[in-house]
Amino acid sequence: MTPRIELLRFITRKLAAALPLIFGVTLISFTLTVHFGPDPAYAMLGKNPTAADVAALQRELGQDQPFWQRYASYLHRLATLDLGHTESSGEKVRDLLGRTLPVSIRLLAPGFVLGTGLALLLAMFAAWHRGGRLDRLITGISVIGMSLSFVIIIIALQAVFGVWLGWFPVRGWEVHGPASYLAHVTIPTLAFVLASIGYNTRFFRAMLVNAMSTDHVRTARAYGASPTHIMRYHVLRGCLLPITTRIVYSVPALAISGSLLLESHFSIPGIGRVTYQAILSGDQPVLIAVVGLSAVAFALTVTVADLLCRLADPRIRLA
Amino acid sequence: MSFARAACAAIAAMLILAACDQPGSDGRDRVVYRHAIDGMPASLDPAHAANVYSSTLVVNLYDTLFRYRYLSRPYELAPNLASGMPEVSEDGLTWTIRLRENVRFADDPAFPDNRGREVTASDVVYSLGRHFDPATRSQGAWLWRGKITGLEEWIDGGADPDRRIPGLHAADDMTVVIELTEPYPQLAHTLAMALSAIVPREAVEHYGREFGVRPVGSGPFLLKQFDETRAVLKRNLDFDRGALDLAAEGHDPQRHAELGLGSLDGEAYPFIDRLEIHFIAEPTTRWNSFVAGEVDNVMVPPEQADRVLDSHDPLRFSPEIEQRYHTLAEPEAGFVLYGFNMANEDIGHHPDEQIDSANRALRCAMRQAFDWQERNDTFYQGLGQVFPGVIPPFLDAFDPALDAGSTARDPQQARSLLQAHEWTPETLPQLTYGLEASVHQRQMFEQFRARMSAVGIPQDRLRSRSFASFGDFSRAIANRELDLFLMGWTMAWPDAQYALQLFYGPNAAPGANSFNYDNPEFDRLFERAAALEEGEERTALYRQLNEMVIDDCVHIGSLSRTRLHLWHRHVRMLPDREMLGGYFLRFVDIGAAP
Repeated sequence: MTPRIELLRFITRKLAAALPLIFGVTLISFTLTVHFGPDPAYAMLGKNPTAADVAALQRELGQDQPFWQRYASYLHRLATLDLGHTESSGEKVRDLLGRTLPVSIRLLAPGFVLGTGLALLLAMFAAWHRGGRLDRLITGISVIGMSLSFVIIIIALQAVFGVWLGWFPVRGWEVHGPASYLAHVTIPTLAFVLASIGYNTRFFRAMLVNAMSTDHVRTARAYGASPTHIMRYHVLRGCLLPITTRIVYSVPALAISGSLLLESHFSIPGIGRVTYQAILSGDQPVLIAVVGLSAVAFALTVTVADLLCRLADPRIRLA
Repeated sequence: MSFARAACAAIAAMLILAACDQPGSDGRDRVVYRHAIDGMPASLDPAHAANVYSSTLVVNLYDTLFRYRYLSRPYELAPNLASGMPEVSEDGLTWTIRLRENVRFADDPAFPDNRGREVTASDVVYSLGRHFDPATRSQGAWLWRGKITGLEEWIDGGADPDRRIPGLHAADDMTVVIELTEPYPQLAHTLAMALSAIVPREAVEHYGREFGVRPVGSGPFLLKQFDETRAVLKRNLDFDRGALDLAAEGHDPQRHAELGLGSLDGEAYPFIDRLEIHFIAEPTTRWNSFVAGEVDNVMVPPEQADRVLDSHDPLRFSPEIEQRYHTLAEPEAGFVLYGFNMANEDIGHHPDEQIDSANRALRCAMRQAFDWQERNDTFYQGLGQVFPGVIPPFLDAFDPALDAGSTARDPQQARSLLQAHEWTPETLPQLTYGLEASVHQRQMFEQFRARMSAVGIPQDRLRSRSFASFGDFSRAIANRELDLFLMGWTMAWPDAQYALQLFYGPNAAPGANSFNYDNPEFDRLFERAAALEEGEERTALYRQLNEMVIDDCVHIGSLSRTRLHLWHRHVRMLPDREMLGGYFLRFVDIGAAP
C-alpha cells in the first residue's frame, strides 16, 4: 500500500469515526442548551399574554413536540443546512453566521498567532536558561499573567491606550481598510496575548525542559552543536506532539468562548457575542446552528490534530 | 522558513484580508451624533418593540400617530403622523384620527419601481391589525385586545388583513376611525408607543421574517447598517414636519437655558445627517468610550456615580463634571418592587378568613421587616427614591401626603404582627424566592433574608431558586412557581393605570398581574377609573386603588432609581429614555466641538 493511499484511508477512517462523535456532541449540546435551555416563549410575549397565547407560541416554536422528534428535526435541519431564521430579529441564521464568523476570525487570528508564537519563544529562552535569572523572570511574568483576570486586562488596556493615551479606539469595529483594522484589532490582540501567554509559556516550557533532559539532546550538546541548532532540530521536534495537540485543540474553544469577553467588552459583532445572547434568550435556531457547527468543527479538529501528529512523528502508525 | 519570515507573511496576509473590507461610511455625513445605550434591540419590527432599546430605533425609523413633546414634563402627547390630536366622541367610544398628507415611506425594493408611496389610513389599520396575526408574534396585541369593536370576531375569522375590522377602518385615505367597546382614554398613549408604528404591508410581505432587520418606515431617519454593536441611521431627506416650535415642545428659557436649544427654534428637523446608536452593555466600556469622545453621551453606570457626584443628598454633580459636560439627574419612569404570589394559599389569598388574615399579617410583617433605605444605599448609591405603593412620584396621581410607613423598616411592628397571628418558626411556610442567576441578585436575596431573619423568620424558611435567564425567571412567575420575587416595571405611558394594572384580577399570570392579586372590589374600581378621562375623580380612584394594594400587603415597595446622564458640551439636546423613549433624537444638534 502506497503512503498516499494509506493516508487517504486514514483520513476516511477518521472522518467516519467522527460521525458518532458529532452525534454524541450534538445530542449532549441539544439536551443542555435547547431542550433544557431557556424557554423563549415567555420572553417573546408581551406584558399581558393569556395562557392560550403562551400555548400557541410554544406550539409554533415546536416546544410541544416530544424530545426525540425535536432532536430528529434538529439533525435534519443541520444535515440539510436549513438553519432557518433567528427567533429574535428574524434574520437568516446563515446570514448571521456569515456576517459574524469572519469578524471573530479576524479579531482572534492575530492574538492567537502572536500569543502562541511569543509564548513558544519565551518558553525556549526559559527552558534553555533553566534555573537561571531569565527563567525565573519569564516564569514569574507567566504566573502574573495567569493570575490576572482577562476582564481586568481588557479594562486596563482600554483605559491606558484608549482613554489616557488616546492611541487606539476604546471599542468598536469600524473596519474598512488595513489602517482601521489595525486600529481596532490592536488592543483586543494585546489583551488576548497577555491573557494567554502565561498559560502557554508555562506549558511549552515544561514540554521543552522535559525534552532537553533526554539523551539525544545531551549528546548533541556534547558534540558542540549551537543552541539554535539543538533547540530547532532536537528539542522542538521532540515536543511537537504535545505542542501541536494543544494548539490545534484550542482552536474550537477559542472560536466561541475565547471571543466572548473580547467581543462584549470591545463591542465587536462576532460569533461569540451572538452565541452568548442566543443562550440567554433561548434563540434555538442560532443555538442549533452554532452547536451543530461547533460539533463538526471539533470532529474535524480531532482529525487534523491526528494528521499533524502523524506528520510530526512518523513513528505514529496510521491505524 | 524562519520564524521572522513566517510572522511577516502572517501579518501581510492579515493586512490583505483587511484591505478587502468595504468602506463603512461616506464622507458626506457632516453632522454626526453618536448615541450610546446600554443594550441592543433584538428586532426592529415595531410589533416587537416592547423595550427601550427597540423603541429608541423604531420611533426614529417609523412614524407613530402621536409622540411625546420633547421638553414637556409631565409628559404631554403631541401629534406626529396624525395632523392633530384625535377627535373623540362624547361617549368616548369613537376616535377619529386624521393623518398628515404627503408623508411617504422610504424608497425600498418592496415597492413597485423601488419608490416609496404615501402613508395612508389603510396603513394604520394594517399596522394595528397585524398584531393579531399569530405569525407576527406581536408583543403589543394586549394593548388593543378586547377594546376594539368586532376585533375578536375578526381574529377568530383568521385575522385576514383583506377583511374589514368593524371597529378599525379607514374612513378615507387620510382618516382612521376607531370604535371602542368601552372608553379607553389610554388609547392615545398606546398610539405613541413604538409598538403602534406604521408599517407598509408591501414590506412586511416582501421581507417576511426578515422584516425585523429590514425596516421600511417614514420616520426621520433611514437605516444604513445594523449589527450587534451599533445601528447607523441617515437623515431621511423626505421627512418634513416643518420647523421646530420650541415653545410648543415645552421649552422653558430658564430651566433649559444651559442646553443651548434656543438657536434651533424655527429650524427644520432633524438637524443631524447621521445618527449612530451604539449598543454598549458593559458599564466600564461605556464610560471609557464616552470619556474618550467616541460616543457623545453616557448614562452613568451606578458604580461610577461617586466619580461624577459631589453630593448624593442633595444630589449634586462635581464642579469638574459640570464644567466639562452637560448633566442631568432624573428618576426613572418606573420602579422596582417585591411581590408575593397571592395564589399560594400558604401566604396569599385563602378561603378561610382566619387563615387569610394570618397570611396578610405575615406579608405585612415581612414588608415591615424589610429595609428599603438599606437597599437604596447598598445597591443604588442612595440615589433611588423610595415611595409607598405603586404610583411613582413623577405621576400626577402620586400622593405626597400618603403615609410612608409601609416603606419604613419597623422590626418591632413586624414581630408584633407575627406574634399576634401566632406565627412561629415552626408554623411559618417555606417560601421560594426567585432570582436571575447573578452576583447582584444573590446579594439582594441575602440582604432580604438577613432582614427577615432579624424579626424571627428563620433563614431556612426562605429558599432561593435561581434562573439562568430572564425568560426562565418569567416562566416561573407565569407558572406561579415563585412565592416571592423582585421585579421591575417600566411605565410605557404616564398614567397610574399602567402601574395599577399589575393588580387587576383578569391580568393574573401569565399576564402582568404576576402577584395573582384577586380582589373584586379592586377590579371594579380599576375598571371604573381606567375608563375616566384625566381629572380629580380619576386621581382619587387611583389613590384609593393604591391604598388597597398597600393595605393588603400584596407587595413590598417601591423604589424608583435615579438616572444620571452626561453628554458632551457641543451636543445640543435633552436626552430622554423614559416612556420607552427615543423621540428626542430627531431634535439633537451638534455644535462646534471644543
